[in-house]
Amino acid sequence: MKFGRMTEHIDGLKYLVGKLELSGSRPLRYLMQTPFCTNRQELESGYDILQSALDLVLDPTRLSDCMRLNHLFSQIHDIQGTLQAVADKRVLDEIELFEIKYFAFLCSDFSSLLNDMGFTHEPLYPLNEVTAILDPDGTGVVSFYIYNSYSQSLAAARDRLRGTDPGEQPGEWETLRQAVDKAELEVRDELSRRINNYYGVLRENFDTLARIEIWFAKAYLVKRYRLVRPEFIPDSGPEFLTIEEMFHPHIADALEDSGISFQPVSIRLEKGPCLLTGANMSGKTVVLKTVSLIQTLAQYGFFVPAGKARLTVVEELFLVSGDRQDPLRGLSSFAAEMLELNRIFAAVKKGTCMIVLIDEPARTTNPNEGMALVSALADFFTLHRTTALISTHFGDMNLSCRKLRVKGFTSQSAVPGEVNAQNINKYIDYSLVEDMDGLVPEEALRIARLLGVDASFLELAKKYVK
Amino acid sequence: MPFIDRIRKYKSLSIVGLEKNTGKTECLNYVLRRMAQTQTQVAVTSIGIDGERVDLVKSTPKPEIYVEPGMYFTTLSRYYLEKRFCAEICEVDNDSAVSGGLVTARALEKGKIVLAGPSDTVSLARWVEQAPLKWHVGLALVDGALSRMSLASPAVTEAMILTTGAAYSANMSRLLGRTRFVYDTLCLPAVPKELTGRLAEVVRGVWAVDERGELKDLGIHSGLHAQDVAKIIHSGERRIYIPGVVSNTLLDKLGHQKEVSGMELIIRDFSRLFTEPDVFYRFLKEGGMISTVLQTNLIAVCINPWSPEGYHLNARELEKRMQEVLGLPVYNIKRLEQ
Repeated sequence: MKFGRMTEHIDGLKYLVGKLELSGSRPLRYLMQTPFCTNRQELESGYDILQSALDLVLDPTRLSDCMRLNHLFSQIHDIQGTLQAVADKRVLDEIELFEIKYFAFLCSDFSSLLNDMGFTHEPLYPLNEVTAILDPDGTGVVSFYIYNSYSQSLAAARDRLRGTDPGEQPGEWETLRQAVDKAELEVRDELSRRINNYYGVLRENFDTLARIEIWFAKAYLVKRYRLVRPEFIPDSGPEFLTIEEMFHPHIADALEDSGISFQPVSIRLEKGPCLLTGANMSGKTVVLKTVSLIQTLAQYGFFVPAGKARLTVVEELFLVSGDRQDPLRGLSSFAAEMLELNRIFAAVKKGTCMIVLIDEPARTTNPNEGMALVSALADFFTLHRTTALISTHFGDMNLSCRKLRVKGFTSQSAVPGEVNAQNINKYIDYSLVEDMDGLVPEEALRIARLLGVDASFLELAKKYVK
Repeated sequence: MPFIDRIRKYKSLSIVGLEKNTGKTECLNYVLRRMAQTQTQVAVTSIGIDGERVDLVKSTPKPEIYVEPGMYFTTLSRYYLEKRFCAEICEVDNDSAVSGGLVTARALEKGKIVLAGPSDTVSLARWVEQAPLKWHVGLALVDGALSRMSLASPAVTEAMILTTGAAYSANMSRLLGRTRFVYDTLCLPAVPKELTGRLAEVVRGVWAVDERGELKDLGIHSGLHAQDVAKIIHSGERRIYIPGVVSNTLLDKLGHQKEVSGMELIIRDFSRLFTEPDVFYRFLKEGGMISTVLQTNLIAVCINPWSPEGYHLNARELEKRMQEVLGLPVYNIKRLEQ
């Protein structure tokens, strides 16, 4: 899947894209086209490049170089259309020729700066020959016109035209002007033909510059959020992923705005399914979102929001959050969820290496069958050794798979009045613990009470709790 | 030539026609020629509006500007490619989101060109500010227009020349009255300096401004639609900033409230005011105040006694009476050229 489409699926990804310091839509277009990388070597060499960019970004003695580099990025014109004209072997107009010359000059500025900075990954092809074609007098100035030195007949035609007054001899002037137009066209035709020989390197440099800009933008993101380079786990052992102190930048930023700090959470998953339980508001969904964000970022060549991360390279990542309705296709949330699970089953049977994250499956149907469905999911994933993290409120299912629980309300739980919807999260410990008994915490009524829900109503509810 | 000396005091100048065919282009060409004679380097552009070569309203050809060798000019790339003289491309700006981008070039020969430059105030202001630095020119010149069609305001230049004439009205009193009205809108007081930057950044919506200069979004889209006008009136705010167009209806409604006195309407600049003179003057007479964020110095008025229909006014009388009404130098470009 291309990165652009992934931003629609993974919560928090679009937010980070918005935080990338890119010079405009051109590099963004490249980023959005990035494929989901499933090749470990490729990812590792990408991280090496990112690490080099990061070293430069973090080096205080390189500050002015980095600023100059950012300035140069902002100077790149989007010459997609011009490059297409070169590829199509069209006769280039003056503006297109200027754009090529400008780009060639810019590439040479980039080369020398990146060289000075010691950033030797992604080298640019030298374009001296292109520069020589478009700067025939060797002035070293970026401006452009159809120089007289290109053609003697052009120079002569211009001379003749200059001696004629368009007001006094309009007919004569028109004839001479047309001769100049014709001579200019011949020159442009010739120049275009010569430039066409360099189409490959021009295109390559144009793409390379976008990639370099993205590496540096990723490096600034690492600096801003203190992201870490993930390690990859060899396929041999039971370990599938271990993430320490993970956080979700979008949620963390939103909390920070209200003066609350995000509590980082650690998690370890082994091959096979794992259930995740916890009271309402205890952050189960955030755990799923953060794990999916980290796995996704890693496979698009980003560092990840955690203190430490050991991951397995997967071929596919599935995130199922049951609230997705598809009214356009006439599907209820239950139906949409089932069809999505069915896609996963097909992939599992094909033997795809994957991670599956499912938020409260079957929550929208009756508890009896709902529990049956969740149990079956656990069995299915156990059978196929598929790594899956499944959050649920159903308890007491007697499943043998691994279970994690969010600690939830701390023992020093406050009395009503002190706790409210704004500060409730201060009383929740979001860390995960191994859950041996498989009982789910029943704190729904308590939380509702703390949120200030009508007391007489909650009394009525209490009567029905078994 | 008298007003050329006044122009040279400023880094930027716009020439604004009160109406089409009031001699704006003649005035611009005159200034360009004189600047070339005085060895002042000039960069010139025009506010981009429609890009049609022929003005559809009155079917007169779209004016072409004569540039002199050494002069910098900024125009749409397709107009650039139509030129028939030699010029050197110095910059291409594709960011302006206009079709094909803008080209800035230096003329190597004398020639004529259709100009259509930045089409929004922010880009135009940036052009005006950067031209002297980038191209080392002494004057950045803008061919301006007063039109609802244009988002860009000529008020971003330091100085301004207004052109008016028979094309606006063949009735001399009406012409004088109208010109006086535009002159009065140009002379509206500026907001306090400390507010200028903050207000200039805001380009849409309707805002209340408190005594400390804090802005409060009134959540109203603009001052154009009837329901928006009603909301503005009902907000009860006494100091309102409208960066967009201020319509006749809005100012009329504001002027008909119980307490107009002490009420302050802040506009972006005179070119955003699309009101009838009587409505404008009544608002002020009732004690209302209008102030502007962008201000420019009107240095001269040029008149064109001829209308495109061939009708003409008595040029000398027009010149004399205009001067009396405005207290500003008034010139008949056609006569200056003779």
